[in-house]
Amino acid sequence: MKNLIDFFLRHSAWAVFLLYAVLSIVMLVGSRNPYQQRVWLTSANAVSSTVYGAMGAVTGYFNLHSINADLEQRNAALEMELVDLRMQLRELRLQLPDSTFDQPSLNNYRLLPALVISNSVALTHNHVTIDRGSADGLEPQMGVVDRGGVVGVVEVTSSHAARLISLLNPDISVSCKLKDSDYFGRLIWEGGDPRYATLDQLPKHTVYEVGDTIVTSGYSDMFPEGIRVGTVVGKAHEVSAGDVQLRIKLGTDFSRLSEVRVIVNGRSAELRKLENGNLPESDKSKTPVGTYSNSSRP
Amino acid sequence: MTKTIIHFILLAVVLLLVQVVCNKVMLLGIAMPIVFIYVIMRLPVSLHVNWVLTIAFLLGLIVDVFNDTPGMNALSCTLLAALCRPMFRAYAPRDIQEDGLLPSMLSMGGWSYFKYALTLTLFYVAVLFLIQAFTLRDWLLTLERIGASAALSLVLILGIDSLVNTGHGEGL
Repeated sequence: MKNLIDFFLRHSAWAVFLLYAVLSIVMLVGSRNPYQQRVWLTSANAVSSTVYGAMGAVTGYFNLHSINADLEQRNAALEMELVDLRMQLRELRLQLPDSTFDQPSLNNYRLLPALVISNSVALTHNHVTIDRGSADGLEPQMGVVDRGGVVGVVEVTSSHAARLISLLNPDISVSCKLKDSDYFGRLIWEGGDPRYATLDQLPKHTVYEVGDTIVTSGYSDMFPEGIRVGTVVGKAHEVSAGDVQLRIKLGTDFSRLSEVRVIVNGRSAELRKLENGNLPESDKSKTPVGTYSNSSRP
Repeated sequence: MTKTIIHFILLAVVLLLVQVVCNKVMLLGIAMPIVFIYVIMRLPVSLHVNWVLTIAFLLGLIVDVFNDTPGMNALSCTLLAALCRPMFRAYAPRDIQEDGLLPSMLSMGGWSYFKYALTLTLFYVAVLFLIQAFTLRDWLLTLERIGASAALSLVLILGIDSLVNTGHGEGL
């Protein structure tokens, strides 16, 4: 017995080394499973979100000039679109005087502004941390956008911070379509350049042009239909036999991410129940909003 | 002794905060500065290896939590800690007194320390980027990142070492 104890004491360094190595590998493997993270092991925990919040308060000013220029440009474009839409609306109203032009499906969405306090673009699995959490009504699987387009999906929340799976993370994909032709596919980032992603699973006969806008398809409850994602820059270099793959320039500039909006869908619980095969209860107003379910991953 | 421990904790906190900022940097898209491993490289030679492994693992874990890369830096740091002593013995001059010695340019000599730091930095960066690249197809980019990040980190680590060693004996 004494020899055995002596043996372990003499070789304790190996045991300690193996313990830490195995612990690290368990964490490494566990991290491949999104939505199942322990919040204290992520940058959304109280200490790191405070440190990042303080850093963000300083560094947030650095990009203001370019953000302002972007906003002005976007504002101008939106004003033009508004004028255009108003004219179209007036013409349509003249044609169909009795119809209503409200879109009730969009009334269910609410946008909640948030500030980015940590963000990475250089890793293979990137994440974003924002300064809003469960206390502000955030829940896992809510979509997040910024002025350029889709940013990611909420993964875990603490009371005043949340970690998102960035669009620059192969763990998520977003259902998207070509804005003009309605062909839809799956947008996924496979590493490398943070400015580009791939839209795959498009049907073989897809008609597209370089410069076409890609928008969300609205097939998941996280993103309503029509949110800008990026533009087509050409065919992706890897094309499988069955489908067309397009290289997309993302509308969101992830290296300068600062202000984002969380999409809160008032009917997500109801939709997830339906996806799970359960009909919604008769008293829908009492249904908790945004119940987590694995089956509605993006 | 207590003074040395307090100095080490201060050095670790400062370098961890610097690392949190550095984690968001990728110069020219390939070079990521890694500076906090200097703390592990500088642990006293006489410190029991179990302590070296524990401190390294915890430092790696803290960086992982901030960087949302659970296990990645912790594993790399544990492997680095296991390599520290053998590398020190391989490069340090034979006649050096090991008791309470902190590896540095001042104590080991410039060339010996350069080789020590180069080997450990290159090893750490290579392990880190290879773990990251496990799911990636672009091996050339990974190799470029390893080379560029190791070079940048080595320059910074040598700079930190000459700043920390004031020349008036062992400052830290």
